[in-house]
Amino acid sequence: MYELAIIGGGPAGVAAGVYAARKKIKTVLITDIFGGQSLVSEDVQNWIGEISIRGEKLAKNMEAHLRVQEGIDIKSGVLASAVKKFGDNFSLSLSNGETLEAKYLLTTVGSKRRKLNIPGDQKFEGKGVVYCSTCDAPLFKGKTVAVVGGGNAGLESAIDLTHYATKIYLLVRSGALRGDPISQEKATKSEKIEILYNCEPKEILGDMFVRGLKYLDKTANETKELKLDGVFVEIGSIPNSDLIKDFVKINEKGEIITDPRTQKAGENIWAAGDVTDVLYKQNNISMGDAIKAVLNIYETIHKGSK
Amino acid sequence: MPNKVTIYSTPTCVYCNMTKEFFKKNSVVYEDHNVAEDDDAREEMINKSQQLGVPVIDINGKIIIGYDEAALSKLLGLKK
Repeated sequence: MYELAIIGGGPAGVAAGVYAARKKIKTVLITDIFGGQSLVSEDVQNWIGEISIRGEKLAKNMEAHLRVQEGIDIKSGVLASAVKKFGDNFSLSLSNGETLEAKYLLTTVGSKRRKLNIPGDQKFEGKGVVYCSTCDAPLFKGKTVAVVGGGNAGLESAIDLTHYATKIYLLVRSGALRGDPISQEKATKSEKIEILYNCEPKEILGDMFVRGLKYLDKTANETKELKLDGVFVEIGSIPNSDLIKDFVKINEKGEIITDPRTQKAGENIWAAGDVTDVLYKQNNISMGDAIKAVLNIYETIHKGSK
Repeated sequence: MPNKVTIYSTPTCVYCNMTKEFFKKNSVVYEDHNVAEDDDAREEMINKSQQLGVPVIDINGKIIIGYDEAALSKLLGLKK
């Protein structure tokens, strides 16, 4: 029986784990892997205190920082598959068959990648449709590809691909790019990247592998086709709020509604990071929010014992 | 008989690195092909797996796609 169960091993989960251990809250942290979404980032340049760091290294640093804490149990390589109320406590089922109980719950499970959801998307996943740009970009040496998404992830993916592909179409749904100006500048300056605005992907074409993409050019109101070998999808993410949806309020985006002062989301439940309705989804912010949650949990425990 | 283990990977792929670390931790001997550089290995990987994505892992002829600790342990006969 734990006082606190933290679900998730991204920046929010790890920050919460470190603070909870230092506050001597009897805690268990459950995660499949560490590092969160930045794990696959080639170069993180806005992690305060590190000028430039690979996502993989960042994840390792976080894990190491957590593992040196005393008095916290870490269950890694497993997922929390179900959460139930068991009397006053929560009962958590893990993917390895284990169950455990905790009085308080902090969820920092983040979000998962949004899929294209158009014909051919599923069929060609891993066959030219790519969701891990840094993993698979080198396989597209000398090829023509498209990147879907005009946010930071789309821009970074397109810029990274300039090292390998001969031609990169960047498809943007709206009339403007959304990512950081520094990345926008790099993308617009590249001779290999052609930005197509007001475009909506309609179908992935191919045989064994991707051969093309059909899209609606909303400016011309015309369906067009691109011949290409790969489609890199970078269109944001969906919060993993399903696990505890019975105990909290969820907004129309699927985010857990939290009190921004305390991160409280329900009775004996707190949430932090990208799974919540936090306005800005950022590593640095996720950590701060998770720390707020732990401090509030600590106060709650001590009020209760008085 | 020892397991015959091959991984097809790219240097920038964190899931590939995690798989290789898993092998090292469990003293699994493996052959590593960098398919970002090695065109023949890339062809071989595509033929074996019909995949254009890494990591692809071949354990005694059985193919695993992506980093999957449970599946790796099972095919390698590792005890948890």
